[in-house]
Amino acid sequence: MSEKKITYLEAISQAIREEMLRDEAVFLLGEDVGLYGEAFKVSVLEEFGSERVIDTPMSEATIIGSAVGAALMGLRPIAEMRFIDFITCGFDQIINMASKMYWRVGMPVPIVVRGSSGRSEIEPFHASNRDAWSFQMPGIKVVVPSTVYDAKGMLKAAVRDNNPVLYLEHKLLYRMPELSEELPTEDYIVPLGKAITRREGEDMTILTYGVMVHQCLKVAQILEEDDNLEVEVLDLRSLSPLDREAIMESVKRTNKVLIVHEESLTRGIGAELSAIVSEELFEYLDGPITRVAAPNVPYPYAPPSETVYSPHAEKILSAARALAAY
Amino acid sequence: MPTSVKMPRLGESVAEGTVGAWLKNEGDLVERDEALAEVITDKINAELPSPVAGRLVKILVGTDETVAVGVDIALIEESADIAAAPFSAGEQPPVETDHILVMEPGRAVAQSLIIPDGRMRVAGSVTSAEEDGADVVSLAEEERQRISPLARRLAREHGIDLNDIMGTGTGGRVRKEDILASVEKRQTAQAIKSTPSNFQSAAKEVVSTPEATSPTTTSSADEELITPSRMRLAIAEHMVRSKHTSPHATTVVEVDMTNITKWLAQNKEDFKRSQGYGISYVPFVMKAVCEGIRKFPIINSTWTADNKIIIKKRINLGVAVATDDGLVVPTIYDTDQYTIAGLARQVNALAQRARMNKLTVQDMQNSTFVVNNPGVFGTIISMPIINQPHAGILSMDSVVKRPVVIEDDAIAVRSMMYLSLSFDHRILDGAGAGGFLQAVRTKLQSYGREINIY
Repeated sequence: MSEKKITYLEAISQAIREEMLRDEAVFLLGEDVGLYGEAFKVSVLEEFGSERVIDTPMSEATIIGSAVGAALMGLRPIAEMRFIDFITCGFDQIINMASKMYWRVGMPVPIVVRGSSGRSEIEPFHASNRDAWSFQMPGIKVVVPSTVYDAKGMLKAAVRDNNPVLYLEHKLLYRMPELSEELPTEDYIVPLGKAITRREGEDMTILTYGVMVHQCLKVAQILEEDDNLEVEVLDLRSLSPLDREAIMESVKRTNKVLIVHEESLTRGIGAELSAIVSEELFEYLDGPITRVAAPNVPYPYAPPSETVYSPHAEKILSAARALAAY
Repeated sequence: MPTSVKMPRLGESVAEGTVGAWLKNEGDLVERDEALAEVITDKINAELPSPVAGRLVKILVGTDETVAVGVDIALIEESADIAAAPFSAGEQPPVETDHILVMEPGRAVAQSLIIPDGRMRVAGSVTSAEEDGADVVSLAEEERQRISPLARRLAREHGIDLNDIMGTGTGGRVRKEDILASVEKRQTAQAIKSTPSNFQSAAKEVVSTPEATSPTTTSSADEELITPSRMRLAIAEHMVRSKHTSPHATTVVEVDMTNITKWLAQNKEDFKRSQGYGISYVPFVMKAVCEGIRKFPIINSTWTADNKIIIKKRINLGVAVATDDGLVVPTIYDTDQYTIAGLARQVNALAQRARMNKLTVQDMQNSTFVVNNPGVFGTIISMPIINQPHAGILSMDSVVKRPVVIEDDAIAVRSMMYLSLSFDHRILDGAGAGGFLQAVRTKLQSYGREINIY
């Protein structure tokens, strides 16, 4: 049984392979995706050959631009960014091309741009999140899977989607052993735009996604054991489109909202979530919408500072307690 | 850091207290131990002394609001903290404390809560507070009530007046739980009201929220409408609760008090002249009750909320005293340690303090059993209601001359008295109650013509 359990990284690899097998239009391009075997070893070169696994120059603008062009010609490229920090170099292609093409000329751009984001324990150039920037762009779907099952199912759904999809992975999840799970043998997808309740509760809703889901679940467990609080953890997993219904349904029940994300607080995803909740659900709120996120400073260089910078269980716990007592 | 003033525990079974009146306004300077507010609980009004010297910066619980014991009711900025703060024009030196605090000689220093002399005291204090605070804007009125958006909507939907709600959130904020609890309470009360048999909670509702139900009560020309005093309301609540809590059974024995009556007739005047206070049947009965409890300790017990019985080793008899406002039951600690004369002295002192409204918190708590004497009103048989959380209550009725059959079937005129014991049938049965009464009677009838009361 345990041998069949796979990691988040293996799930991504499986998804790419299965989609390439399923549809000949699907191909992979990016820096070192071929010979080197991809930065995180999501390697499929041997099976599909260099025609469909293309090593590119070190230029994100080129990678995404090529992908957009290929998509317009009927292919379904998966563009790989290695570290999502550098997607900014290709932003022009996303913002001015990919996101608008359908609205300008009626031609869909079915590309997937994937890359590793988040806390790295390496240094500031390889630790960014691009959630908020991506989230802000209309015309693009943004997904952030937090489990092995979702990693595979959402990537497959992204490949099949006719819109440009940013598929944001997290380094810490790649090989996290406790995340490993056995996946269904049959083909499945996780529909984009649907949040999922990871833990049910009536006292508070935590809105979160990606790597923070696991921190929040830990906190919810502590709050149940020590504080007798039933905290609901809603994993948004799709930032665009956002599952407003799931948010509304949960917050109407619990009346208290805690938003947790790894990226910095100011103008983060939480700002929009907070605005939505206060606009739509003001009279359902029994406490202030509370956010826990990184401070509004660049990602720190020193590993000890990194620990302080990123939201962790302790910060989430004290925010949750203050909100519960409000 | 301001020091918080908490709602004190004014009796062992008392879980909450009501602020009767604030004697100080926000912004006033207070001395340590100076009375801040009048606090009211079941049958007792007490002045709440300030724990520290400083400035009363915040009143958290308004007049007539009831909160749980231990809840912060005010904040005082200690003197050192406020030394640099400019004084507002309205402030005057703190009023003399002597006429506010009723000092009791011989009381332990730790005894900090003193009963004020009733309404006069309150009126006087309020006046002085108004003078002191003439220029001090009341922060309590200025500050918005804290309430969550959800609580506000729920209150509107359920037609709840937010002023009636005590918030349990941080800083007293009204939140969802508070509104829902209020709605539930109202629904329960309404459900019970429609069931006449369950008068307990209905009465409780009337007692606890008179303003909620009384506005519709009007009196016609041939009626007079009385708004009960706080003490009356407290008694009403206690009586209803007691009847609801304990299944009462009452049993009666007849006691021959002839020898005690004769002794009293002969010695009463002398006793009063020599001791300065009177003596009646009460200390004799109390002494006999102690004897009965020694033989049947279960009488001196409590049925707990988690269905256990606690037998109290100390015998602290409560003695019911009628005052103008109603009945109070102060305590004689370690009653069994006193002589009859000693008990007479204690009963006297307590009765006097009760009538002068000078009972202390200490006087009002820790009793384990009550001796009640409706006999002074000429009654011959009573069925008393237990003073919670006791196991029983004994009523002594009038000692009256009756023809009784004595030894050898002779008929004689004897001074007879009925003793009625109401007991909690959860704790004991008729056998135990009867045994106790027998022991009390045996003790009372054991006295001869000469009684050593010292």
